[in-house]
Amino acid sequence: EDGQCPWWDAFAKACADENVCLEKTVFPAATDSKYLRIKGIPALGFSPMNHTPILLHDHNEYLNENIFLRGIDIYCTIISGLANV
Amino acid sequence: MAAKEDPAVTHFREYIRINTMQPNPDYVSCTAWLRIRGEAAGGEVEVVETFPGKPVVVISFPGTRPELGTLLLNSHTDVVPVFPEHWKYEPFSAHKDSEGNIYGRGTQDMKCVGIQYLEAIHRMKKQGKTFTRTIHLTFVPDEEIGGETGMQEFVKMPEFKKLNAAFALDEGYANPTDKFSLFYGERCVWWVMVKCTGQ
Repeated sequence: EDGQCPWWDAFAKACADENVCLEKTVFPAATDSKYLRIKGIPALGFSPMNHTPILLHDHNEYLNENIFLRGIDIYCTIISGLANV
Repeated sequence: MAAKEDPAVTHFREYIRINTMQPNPDYVSCTAWLRIRGEAAGGEVEVVETFPGKPVVVISFPGTRPELGTLLLNSHTDVVPVFPEHWKYEPFSAHKDSEGNIYGRGTQDMKCVGIQYLEAIHRMKKQGKTFTRTIHLTFVPDEEIGGETGMQEFVKMPEFKKLNAAFALDEGYANPTDKFSLFYGERCVWWVMVKCTGQ
């Protein structure tokens, strides 16, 4: 993957700059990315939540405000990397 | 406590309090609120309906080279239903406890992401940063019921083609460890209806 696609390289570099360690995997369910990929638009699924139990669709779904705010820092780096590819 | 809350967190909690629970999401309030936030961030807001009452809110930030393929930051506005009796706090209260945990349907899936995109761009714009490529934020309806009335329809529309998207981000999952999950593909969707008639 590395070096094959400028989008991926920009995304991976932004994550490295933010010390975001990625666990790459295939999505276990279905989301709207599939409609984009069908149209030939490459898409990554990423929500910047670590140290957080997986509670989507569950009772007592929550997110810590510091994880949320850290996510904004991470997106600043990722978005500026991707928007300047 | 008593520390002043970061405005980004306040906006996040406001968004959680808009009840966009399936099967009757309040898209009217949601669209009105997103319009205010998008304009506050300096974006151009456009609303496209895939079907009557099914709004896609597009917030655009033009780049310095608008002819290039654009960056699409997608999120969905609807959330799945709740069983309130199993919750510690009311699921649309966005209650924040003493540890800073914000409870609410959609806090992980995925109102956090939609508002984080917006807050990140708002912050960078305030810092005077510019982007080469145009960025479009799309807030789509009905992902939780399969997207047939949301993204599936939207990608067929001329308004979507006009966005000229070259690359997209969408939702992932929380990760309980210090790592972050990243999804580069997904399983094929093959839903099967099973009908049990009983004896």
